[in-house]
Amino acid sequence: MSEDAIVELRGVGKMFRRFDHPPFLLRNLFARLSGRVPPRPDFWPMRAVSATIHRGETVALIGRNGSGKSTLLRLIAGAAYPSEGEIAVRGRIAPLLQLGAGFQPDMTGRECARVNGVALGLSPTQVDERLPAIAGFADLDGFLDTPVRYYSSGMLARLGFAVAVHTDPDLLIVDEVLAVGDQAFQAKCLSKIDELRAGGVTILFVSHDEALVRKLCERALLLDGGQLVADGPVAEVLARYEERSRQA
Amino acid sequence: MSQSPPRPLPTLWVVRTSHGTRSSRLEGGRFVPAHTPWLREHAALLRLFVANDFRARYRAQALGVVWSLLQPLVMMGILSLVFSHTFRSTEPNFSIFLLIGLLIWQWISAALNSATNAFVVNADMVKRTVFPRALLPLTSVLSYGINAAVESIALIAIIPFFPGAFRLSWALVAIPGLLACLIVLLGGAALAVSVLNVIYRDVAYLVSTGLLILYWLTPVVYPPSIVPGRWQLLYAWNPLGGVISGLRDAILHGQAPDAAAWGRLLAATVLVALVGAVIFRRHEHEMLDHV
Repeated sequence: MSEDAIVELRGVGKMFRRFDHPPFLLRNLFARLSGRVPPRPDFWPMRAVSATIHRGETVALIGRNGSGKSTLLRLIAGAAYPSEGEIAVRGRIAPLLQLGAGFQPDMTGRECARVNGVALGLSPTQVDERLPAIAGFADLDGFLDTPVRYYSSGMLARLGFAVAVHTDPDLLIVDEVLAVGDQAFQAKCLSKIDELRAGGVTILFVSHDEALVRKLCERALLLDGGQLVADGPVAEVLARYEERSRQA
Repeated sequence: MSQSPPRPLPTLWVVRTSHGTRSSRLEGGRFVPAHTPWLREHAALLRLFVANDFRARYRAQALGVVWSLLQPLVMMGILSLVFSHTFRSTEPNFSIFLLIGLLIWQWISAALNSATNAFVVNADMVKRTVFPRALLPLTSVLSYGINAAVESIALIAIIPFFPGAFRLSWALVAIPGLLACLIVLLGGAALAVSVLNVIYRDVAYLVSTGLLILYWLTPVVYPPSIVPGRWQLLYAWNPLGGVISGLRDAILHGQAPDAAAWGRLLAATVLVALVGAVIFRRHEHEMLDHV
């Protein structure tokens, strides 16, 4: 493993348990005390994924729906834990997972930006200094003191993106969030991503937009059924993906 | 744009396995755990959560802090009328005695009820942003602690109207220690109920029923002296009763808890905190998959 690794995945797997009826604590305790623990079927949507991502790379995760792309992004971001294997990350990670930005509805835009910025590793004063830039980028001037429950979904996504890219991340994780927002905002996001890339930020990115993947990324990881089936230059991996899709 | 050279990557890694999160150093291709001060590292975020929670609560209430002062005072008035004849002989300043118990109990029950729902209410944030999840139940404890602090202004304000209800003494030094025990106790319980409530559907009912039972098992509205002799030992081990009685004795009678009382309180506090932390660690991952 080289000096400039920023994400290291070693045999990562994720297991979920299926519940056939809603779990109750009391019933569970009685079952455990009487030694009759009902079997809970496991299933593994992801297994044995190993890869290293180096600083400065822009990597696309591709694969069909349900292949485990979002699960892997959540695991790398730290929004979920692996059931086996190790995930090691370092530096500041700014995750943009799915739609919405994960805000509490009663908080104002300013409070949300503060919480998100501090959770990402800035100090409260650093966030306050960057708030004008964040509000400007998200086109939210004048709405920062409005509770976010009154925001439109576009406004929420813009605020989430704006905070994440203004925290000096080392690694930006983007899960199809570029699909929201109008053309103008998408263009703004893409040019921001280009700018971060030029500044040496590592980007990990899920998209079904093949043209975008070709344009932005040099490397791609292909997931199928929770297994990593290809890892290499974008053109090769995309070719593999098309081949597999045709067979299926 | 400026092309500053990229800053060096930290040498500390965050390693996540099925056992949890650890800061680690990479040595010879293996990740070796390194110690980092958890609470200090996340103190800024915890402060922010507590401030937001406290502010949001008062934004939602028109009367604001006044309401929070009114409730224990009204309770005190009613209960004083009902019980004063029964307990006046044992407790000369029964009103203040009541108010202390009610203030602390209000903190306990509000903190635990709010912690039960901490992850459910903030599901969106828990799913989509990444931060140490334990901060949310701890926020409930501290934020209602600020409430209790604001309410004690009412207590301090009415004490002069009850001559003999307050004694300036060295025993008052025990108060911060007792409150610290209460915070740790509540923190442990909050960690446990918050994760369990996401996974199991009956936890909210168990918590509210449990609190109701505890309310009567703890000397909140009655003096511990009325408890029959054979139950005294059980009462002595109840850490919530230990805190409430300790505060009352320090304020009303100028008596600090004796060594045995401190010992029992500390032992119970450490036990609850440990059990809570273990339950949290063991269920945090599953909670994230359920929320």
